[in-house]
Amino acid sequence: MTSVPSKLYSDDVSLVVVLLDTNPFFWTASSSLPFSQFLSHVMAFVNSILLLNQLNQVVVIASGYNTCDYIYDSSSDASQLGPENGKMPSLYSNLLQKLEDFMIKDEKLGKDQSQRAIKSSLLSGSMSMALCYIQRVFRSGPFHPQPRILCLQGSPDGPEQYVAVMNAIFSAQRSMVPIDSCYVGAHNSAFLQQASYITGGVYVKPQHLDGLFQYLTTVFATDLHSRSFIQLPRPAGVDFRASCFCHKTTIDMGYICSVCLSIFCNHHKKCSTCGSVFGQAQSDTSSASDLKRKAPET
Amino acid sequence: MANNIAEKRRQQEEDDEEEDGDLDGWGERNYADERSWEALQEDESGLLRPLDNKAMYHAQYRRRLRSLSTASNSQRIQKGLIRFLYIVLDLSRAASVMDFRPSRMAVVAKNVEAFIREFFDQNPLSQIALVIIKDGVAYSLTDLGGSPESHVKALMAKLECSGDSSLQNALELVHEYLDQIPSYGNREVLILYSALTTCDPGDIMETIQKCKKSKMRCSVIGLSAEMFICKHLCQETGGLYSVALDESHFKELIMEHAPPPPAIAEFAIANLIKMGFPQRAAEGSISICSCHKECKVGEGYICPRCKARVCELPTECRICGLTLVSSPHLARSYHHLFPITPFDEVTPSRQNEPHRRSQKTCFGCQQGLVNPGNKPSLHVTCPKCKQYFCLDCDIYIHESLHNCPGCESLRAS
Amino acid sequence: MPQVRIIAKNFMDMVASLPAMKLDSLYQNAYICEAILRSLPPLAKKYVVQILFFDGPVSGKLLEQWVLDDGVTKHRVAIDRLIQLRIFIEVTDKKRESSYKLNQTFQANLQKHLTNGGVLPRETMAATVKLPSSEDLDTYALEQWECFLLLLISSGQAEKPTSLSSSMMKIFQRGLLSQRDRDAPRLTEGGFQFLLMDTNAQLWYIIREYISNSEERGTDPADLISFLLELSFHVTGEAYNINTLTEIQRNTIKDLAELGLVKLQQGRKESWFIPTKLATNLSVSLTDSSSRKQGYVVVETNFRLYAYSTSKLHCEILRLFSKIEYQLPNLIVGAITKESLYSAFENGITSDQIISFLQQNAHPRVAERLPSVPENVTDQIRLWEADLNRVEITPAHLYDEFPSKDTFEAACDYAREWNGLLWEDSKKMRVVVKAEIHMNMREFLRGQK
Repeated sequence: MTSVPSKLYSDDVSLVVVLLDTNPFFWTASSSLPFSQFLSHVMAFVNSILLLNQLNQVVVIASGYNTCDYIYDSSSDASQLGPENGKMPSLYSNLLQKLEDFMIKDEKLGKDQSQRAIKSSLLSGSMSMALCYIQRVFRSGPFHPQPRILCLQGSPDGPEQYVAVMNAIFSAQRSMVPIDSCYVGAHNSAFLQQASYITGGVYVKPQHLDGLFQYLTTVFATDLHSRSFIQLPRPAGVDFRASCFCHKTTIDMGYICSVCLSIFCNHHKKCSTCGSVFGQAQSDTSSASDLKRKAPET
Repeated sequence: MANNIAEKRRQQEEDDEEEDGDLDGWGERNYADERSWEALQEDESGLLRPLDNKAMYHAQYRRRLRSLSTASNSQRIQKGLIRFLYIVLDLSRAASVMDFRPSRMAVVAKNVEAFIREFFDQNPLSQIALVIIKDGVAYSLTDLGGSPESHVKALMAKLECSGDSSLQNALELVHEYLDQIPSYGNREVLILYSALTTCDPGDIMETIQKCKKSKMRCSVIGLSAEMFICKHLCQETGGLYSVALDESHFKELIMEHAPPPPAIAEFAIANLIKMGFPQRAAEGSISICSCHKECKVGEGYICPRCKARVCELPTECRICGLTLVSSPHLARSYHHLFPITPFDEVTPSRQNEPHRRSQKTCFGCQQGLVNPGNKPSLHVTCPKCKQYFCLDCDIYIHESLHNCPGCESLRAS
Repeated sequence: MPQVRIIAKNFMDMVASLPAMKLDSLYQNAYICEAILRSLPPLAKKYVVQILFFDGPVSGKLLEQWVLDDGVTKHRVAIDRLIQLRIFIEVTDKKRESSYKLNQTFQANLQKHLTNGGVLPRETMAATVKLPSSEDLDTYALEQWECFLLLLISSGQAEKPTSLSSSMMKIFQRGLLSQRDRDAPRLTEGGFQFLLMDTNAQLWYIIREYISNSEERGTDPADLISFLLELSFHVTGEAYNINTLTEIQRNTIKDLAELGLVKLQQGRKESWFIPTKLATNLSVSLTDSSSRKQGYVVVETNFRLYAYSTSKLHCEILRLFSKIEYQLPNLIVGAITKESLYSAFENGITSDQIISFLQQNAHPRVAERLPSVPENVTDQIRLWEADLNRVEITPAHLYDEFPSKDTFEAACDYAREWNGLLWEDSKKMRVVVKAEIHMNMREFLRGQK
């Protein structure tokens, strides 16, 4: 009965939250694609999103090594535009300025810490921020752009972020926000593969990095409405096997602590994570199968 | 022939009626917003004003969060993550009462459906079964299982109510089933009770003691009024007893049972459970799936022990009984184990501290924390990273995201 | 539903109908390219962006491979549109396979846009100019627009005279008002519907009329389109020097000021124009999307209607379907009555239009609750409309005195096959069929004999 016209807002209006990896450790080591070039590809991509629809919105969040921050928001762009930079395209001036500030801040935060082996970026932080932002867009009323997240990641996964990243992925899945990911690093990123698979996004690892812009516009500029009739890279098999907590090896079968769900590759007396002491082994499988036999299948 | 035509015409008339239906039926329709007076409150000067829903919602949420955190703060959090839950639905005569719209039964069914989905979302390794009380007896509608769809389908097909209600029969039945559950599992019963009486064949007190002995945690949500026997049952077995005021309250009460309860060591014995992490079957491979007993192409998982093919995870292998999960299913439960601390409300006095003044937007969503008129609105701060958040983000972070964006964007040193 | 709306949406058809030469020259302007691109269907947009940096032609087969099987119709629509607008140039090679190439000027302009980012169409004036606040500007635009609308529907009511020539007003009024001899002009069905449309749709209707009559005033429609589109890329609330405009544009901008699209201001030496939200929304409204604006109407379950508005136009619009009872300085109180609705229905307004108008203009207090207009009111409005349509008249023919039961039934079946059977009585062997199959029926019955 509530016949509020639903077509007031056209289908392809989108909000793209770009998570930009600015990890200095990765970009200094990356020889195939310098950061400046990468950035120019991304900027052209952001431009093309904004070009496609006047109501499209782009937010860029930088995920650095020590911190994360918003560096661009196209919705607040127009108001910031002063008369002094009338001719200068605002995207460039605002984004580059903020990005520079961010990089300096990121570096400062890292100064007093000793060099460590982990070279990952704070993906979990930027993902969480992006999701908070998207929730705000959802709250803004019945007419909002269709949101999606695009991770532009180069640095490797940080195992210590596993729980946080997974939490963010599940929250995105619940609010039906697809996470697209474009991985420009050397090996595949298991985090991003899982993120895109679970949330229904697209994962791409470009073969030729100098054509990055073409990858970005071909795959990631596609709005959610058009995805129903456009050919996109199909998800390759994602490895959902777990790795055990004790040796970090990938296993087919293992033991799970019933209290904290820690994964072990062989039987222990005591759980190293939560400290529970275990009863007799293997009783479970037998009783479970007993139960199975007794209770007829539904 | 003539018969046929008459038939057709009648059909046509019926069709016509259906077309007009939304107009003709207007007399009986439930108009929304009929309790509009409830959305008013009196302010200090005696004037009526609409309720500030947002503030109230947030206060309510804060209360819930606090009660949760005090309960678990005392020691290391242990939660019963592997749950075996029996949901008992009272479909006796009392369930047809229409004090809930359209009836108690319909409201219960609707919310149980939502609950089942929420439950499996939060407890991917747990199982549910449905039991119905009707005509003085209890019978099992579905057996323990991990697929929300099959439960919901079975429930929706059996929505009729009649006869008396019997609490004892239900408990006896559930007890019989739950007694076979492996020791690491948490045995739980959730009873949605409409009736004000129970019509039992024997001494219910004995049954309650039996349940207590088997470490079954029994909770009851009443739809009419508080009953001694229900309260007694819950007290004895360590469950929760509550009575719903209206539909939204009922929904709130039932959803409280979705997150895993704190594990009590004596209830469920810690154990190592053997589980399999199957790999996805190669694309285009053809095999017979063990759950539907049909030939299927691609898109499936192979049990690592017996190599049988299953369609979806998590499940139990039909052939060898091994629990099959994928790592994201385990990860879904991790936030129960590593919850984020509740945020502190920022009091006006602290807002005046000089070094805090700079932050004027919510760290999460960038929304301004200053109301029009330059008056700072109510907001919260994370005790760890000291970032400020708006109330909406506070709720989202604790209810759905389970990450503090501030802490996550700091490299832990 | 309203014819006007359909026309208003198809502004791009107007662009497409321009001759090829004109179109090519239009694409010289980067803003036009941008606006045109945005007005395309999503798939067409995607094709353009995807092959923007390709130099040679792209084969049609390759393009088709980008869509899934069930998107083929969308693919055809997109390609047709692109060719129609001369964005794609079709090239047929020796093997008779068609491939497509982007219009070179169009391509170059967009490429520049992507690599350099959006550049503003013209420089804003120096900061010496005192600018109105954005709220003031919005109220100005709205006032101006409403004043124009009021003038349009009843010339006597307007508070201030307009500089729009009366001939131009006549053009706008054509189709909305009908005047018979000496009587006061009356709103036509289209006119009523026009008033209930949202501002963007109304604006496009007016602009469309304005453009289609430009030739009579000696202006090239292509120039006008390009200027209007360019105007929509200016920043709202900034001042632009009028000297940067051509003579024709300067004349145009005066008319646009009357509509509230720009605000003209004069300093000591120079004069300048400030685009309002109406102007910058022009290219948004090219697509089906619409902007939200604050409503003012509260409808209560007792059919009373409170409109928090000072505008005479709002009062006039509400008067279309309700009985206005009081008018306070900032409030219009009315009631939706059976009589008021009947007069609205007689004027060709439908219940759905009234309801969607009430919903779209709901006061923010009630807009957030669902439904924003009480259901008993919406139902009653629909019921009252249905009351008027109780009897449906269909021209028909009655046949009786069939020679036999078989002939009768065959006739019934025949009529049913043609979907023309209205009523039958098998006992008395009478049948009523629609008039349009009467001839066929006669033929058929003749054949039976």
